[in-house]
Amino acid sequence: MTNPILITGCGVVSAIGNNKAETLESLQNNRSGVGELVYLKTEHKEFPVGEVKMSDVEMRKLMNISDNAITTRTALMGMIALDEALKDAKITPDMISNIGFISGTTVGGMDMSEQFYLDYVNNENHKEYIAVHDCGSCSEMTAEHFGKFAFITTLSTACSSAANAIILGANMLRCGEADIVVVGGSECITKFHLNGFNSLMILDTNPCRPFDASRAGLNLGEGAAYLVLETEESAKRRGVKAQAILSGYGNACDAFHQTASSPDGEGAYRAMEEALQLADIQPDKIDYINAHGTGTPNNDLSESQAVKRLFGENVPPMSSTKPFTGHTTSASGSIEAVFCILALQNGFLPVNLNWSQPMDDGIVPVNQSVKKELRHVLCNAFGFGGNDSSLLISKPEL
Amino acid sequence: MMEKKEIYVLSAKQISVQQPLCEDWMTQSVEYQTPFNRSIDPSFKDYISPIEARRMGKILKRAIATSKEAIKASGLETVDAIITGTGYGCIENTEFFLEALSKDGEQMLSPTYFMQSTHNTISSLVAIQTKNHGYNVTYAHKGISFDSALQDAFLQLRLGKINSALVGGHDELTPTFYNILKKGGMMGQDDEMCSEAAVSVVLGTEKQNSLCKLLDFKMLHKPTIERLKSVAKAFQADFILTGISGNHNSDKAYLNECHELFGNAKILKYKHLFGESFTASGIGFYVAAQCLKAGKIPANLFVNPSEIIDKKPSKILVFNHSDGNNYSLTLLEA
Repeated sequence: MTNPILITGCGVVSAIGNNKAETLESLQNNRSGVGELVYLKTEHKEFPVGEVKMSDVEMRKLMNISDNAITTRTALMGMIALDEALKDAKITPDMISNIGFISGTTVGGMDMSEQFYLDYVNNENHKEYIAVHDCGSCSEMTAEHFGKFAFITTLSTACSSAANAIILGANMLRCGEADIVVVGGSECITKFHLNGFNSLMILDTNPCRPFDASRAGLNLGEGAAYLVLETEESAKRRGVKAQAILSGYGNACDAFHQTASSPDGEGAYRAMEEALQLADIQPDKIDYINAHGTGTPNNDLSESQAVKRLFGENVPPMSSTKPFTGHTTSASGSIEAVFCILALQNGFLPVNLNWSQPMDDGIVPVNQSVKKELRHVLCNAFGFGGNDSSLLISKPEL
Repeated sequence: MMEKKEIYVLSAKQISVQQPLCEDWMTQSVEYQTPFNRSIDPSFKDYISPIEARRMGKILKRAIATSKEAIKASGLETVDAIITGTGYGCIENTEFFLEALSKDGEQMLSPTYFMQSTHNTISSLVAIQTKNHGYNVTYAHKGISFDSALQDAFLQLRLGKINSALVGGHDELTPTFYNILKKGGMMGQDDEMCSEAAVSVVLGTEKQNSLCKLLDFKMLHKPTIERLKSVAKAFQADFILTGISGNHNSDKAYLNECHELFGNAKILKYKHLFGESFTASGIGFYVAAQCLKAGKIPANLFVNPSEIIDKKPSKILVFNHSDGNNYSLTLLEA
């Protein structure tokens, strides 16, 4: 790769913490945030979920947003993560107008639309929420809390949305379209997709167990994370250091089925291979893979096959962190990228919680706490429709 | 700096309120008096088997038809990337699922509507239908969704990461969502005609039998007029194709900005023929590309009848803004 893409800051909120410090503490102490449903109003109390441990009202308070301002949970979580990312990268308000913002979401403002839909159809009540239904308006609400970004756009590729936002940002830097872009995604749990996933029979009523023989589906989660991507020149000029390097990335389509992955993991294989090629790094240099690992029988088998095809007998240490957070859907690509950065910085392998017995033909994940120096890690995010992406994140050269 | 590759528009196909998959609108446009109109659909049997079609929403059928036609017309066997923009995605299935959820509760929901409700259903279905494992993403950002998809393709073609791309813009609109969006002030203001649109274009780095060249592209969020002026310097053209739609505030902004940014360039419009939709800017791209290919601009595109001129256009700028917040400039050359 020609010019390195620096990650000069990041911010995260999920079931295991409202910022990076809390997140790191939870990851290192194997503390899951998945539990009984508290905030979402639904009949389906039987499913464990990874909710962010704040109500909308508490989030508004944290972000200084008045009670009557129109907003959505996805936008609120986005603001919390974006606030941390901007501060972490020492970005001041006067710089915002030269920075791009690229976010990923799929449900957008569905948390409001699903409450008020019959009003929208039948009367004038809550009509002010109509304009915040779409994905783009969520990105704009998130961004505009901090100023006027130079450009804003929104990726919507289901569960790989945030990963693809990171890829677009990197391509923009390489093209010279910007010096700094803030990239990532946000998604709250909604009744809409909880019921959708339930209708597809891919939710587990027990805590999820990725790569385990007894795995029986996923737990939904929510959250947001943003990364500040920057050119080397810009970081040098500003006197900020790289926390990590985005050394490669790949995007491929499984082109197999709308909601299922192919048995040989073709899309996942191609995405990981492309990330390695772009970084010009051999498979044996990869020290850790943060798997997509949802805990559905289909995903974990398909991903195992893809990894085995690429790495042969020498599969690097691999884990799914979804037992910590639940599946944070559109935001998972950037949330788990932040987990990878924390693992690189602090030298540890995140544990694949809840794992006890190997699945047939699957990988054996990291199942106990390990301290380890890491150089290069892969972070996978796959979406419905076979939208598969992989990010290669590396420790900065000293 | 990196060497800039030439980028060509190899094909452009549409299904809209004008005659589908052809350029009849250039000579004989379909006229509408009603404020909301749905697309004129072609027969889909040449593109999708009847069994498959039965399970698909309109937006998906149109996406497959325009995509297959665009790839065929491009002369390429396959494309390196499939990139889609959609403001609201598969609205019909979203509506069915929301309605069932709101009226029947959470116990009896069928997976079919949900499976086809996500925005990226379109792009991934096109990939499945064309057996394409290449780069595949979807943008969903209001009236710059197609523009965002175009930008992604433009950047990757420039970087040499890909040599061709299918760029799509797809939005459908049901009567229920038309009423909701009108109620929310999102569309259908003043004299605006609301519609649906499906556009597929193929971009490539080999000239082949191209419609025109894509010279430059830029997207801006809430720019100051000074910022717009400085960007517009590199986007001068003899014709400016605007999104003038019958929405009074938006139209006034277009006219003022055109005067400030592009001096005496002739101002064109297309939404009076094709309507307003979140994918309308994709139609704008298609209209400009077809005008450059035809070497003429139909008289009914001119905003000022006094400016009508029978001259071969050399450059057309597609100038789009969405709610006055997001701008895009797309410069095409014959």
